[in-house]
Amino acid sequence: MRSRKIPHAPPPAVWEPAVTPWPPPQRPMRTLADINAKIRAQTVVVETAEAFKQRAAEVGIAQAYQAVDVVTTGTFEPMESSGAILNLGHTDPPIKIRECYLNGVLAYSGFGAVDLYLGASQPVEIGSSTDAELNREYGGGHVIAALIAGETVHLKAVGHVTDCYPRASFETTITRDTINQFYLFNPRNLYQNFIVGVNGGDRPLATYLGPLQPNLGNAVYAHPGALSPLMNDPDLAVIGIGSRIFLGGGVGYVAWEGTQHFPRQKRLPNDTPIGPAATVALIGDAKTMQAQWVRGCYFRGYGPSLMMGVGVAIPLLNEAIAAHCAVRDDEIVAPVMDFAIPRRVRPTFGLVSYAQLKSGSIVLNGRKVRTAPLASVYLARQVAAELKGWIEAGSFELTEPVMALPRDRAFVPQDLGGMGGV
Amino acid sequence: MKKRVTLTFPKRSIHQPITYRLAKDFNVAANIIRAQVAPNQVGKLVVELSGDIDQLDAAIEWLQEQEIGVSQASREILIDEAVCVHCGLCTGVCPSGALTLAPDTFKLFFARSRCIVCEQCIPTCPLQAISTNL
Repeated sequence: MRSRKIPHAPPPAVWEPAVTPWPPPQRPMRTLADINAKIRAQTVVVETAEAFKQRAAEVGIAQAYQAVDVVTTGTFEPMESSGAILNLGHTDPPIKIRECYLNGVLAYSGFGAVDLYLGASQPVEIGSSTDAELNREYGGGHVIAALIAGETVHLKAVGHVTDCYPRASFETTITRDTINQFYLFNPRNLYQNFIVGVNGGDRPLATYLGPLQPNLGNAVYAHPGALSPLMNDPDLAVIGIGSRIFLGGGVGYVAWEGTQHFPRQKRLPNDTPIGPAATVALIGDAKTMQAQWVRGCYFRGYGPSLMMGVGVAIPLLNEAIAAHCAVRDDEIVAPVMDFAIPRRVRPTFGLVSYAQLKSGSIVLNGRKVRTAPLASVYLARQVAAELKGWIEAGSFELTEPVMALPRDRAFVPQDLGGMGGV
Repeated sequence: MKKRVTLTFPKRSIHQPITYRLAKDFNVAANIIRAQVAPNQVGKLVVELSGDIDQLDAAIEWLQEQEIGVSQASREILIDEAVCVHCGLCTGVCPSGALTLAPDTFKLFFARSRCIVCEQCIPTCPLQAISTNL
């Protein structure tokens, strides 16, 4: 593993493809305008990431690049740092909402009068409820998925009475068609890579990776590997702010860098990170999303979340970008972390390749340990195939980012400060 | 042929070496899938009986004569295909290898005959797609 030179200059304001040292850069032979013209003429050649990797392995990167214009990537995984913005429209008399529950799940209302932000990992309020029918394994992700599925959602709001907003409370039912705006704004999606969770302790653990059985009973990885979007553009050369994407079956955009964006993660010579690295914030109209790609979920003993399908199309502007898209599961790795140690920095069992993880078992401490994914490779492939279909049909053109994502960001921990935090 | 049955033993019957009698008298092999047997308690045994069809029927008749409850409606794991997203999390906790991901398609595959109905997959499923029929 070689060390990477980290540029300390701020990212350029005007987007340009990152200069990638490996393999040697070549003169760009395609522009995004060329590709979009081909999309409009429906003559564009699109391949899913897996098909392209196979082609590149067979005929070489140069020839694969010549043959293919666009590579589609995809993932379907839990994305708990997701949320929905809703605007209800005004009641008569009007209300300034200060507390609001959607199907019993608290939505944040500290905005203008009837604006709400519903987080995917907010659990249902149980409180003193004795309702036997109440599904306790429920949360914001389920409410978002229900609205996208066109279902009716119960709303209960408490207002702050003012001269201009005299109403004190409001109760109703809403669907996605009876509210004004309903869009997802997800602060952290598409982790460029992730960890593998194991449990080296002697009791079962309930984690955000699902149950981890004691004594290295199982290992869980939460990333589809070489098929996933940011693994195919490790330097963020073509994915930037403003990139148009497939988000939950509708059209979305990369809005910003994601929270915990950490492009400085150590990397392999093929530029892929060896652990969690870049992230993106995504935005998209939830009214156009489809229920099959947005699913509420719940991890017993941990809490609710949202599983979502996200796809990104990578324009092959030059051979270096094509070379990055050719990376395979046996060339990318993830760190195996022991969740039995409940600390920020957990002990690691070293790195394993995604090819090993997908084979169904890995070897830790000389022992075979079963692996199970948490990302659906089956549905991630369908996302990439669906996006390929959109592009081939001429209905999805690619966008040039308006600004590059930062490639140099420190990852700051929250340590006990001078106030003597407890 | 094979038959999966749930046997319920009244307290007074648990002294009987049931699987021995099944093998010796009826030439029926009893593969114990799950068992809950303790002194002075009603015992439960989920077994897969295999043997000749006539002898199997005779064995079940004999079990009933011993006042052992025989239920052929055994508990089964059900997977709601409309809800499952094939994430595969359940495959990591399944001890018998009944739940696996197909190596090529990564689609969830449930081999019912290998399932021992331990039910560990039920709370594991983040989509609540797995249940039992009882």
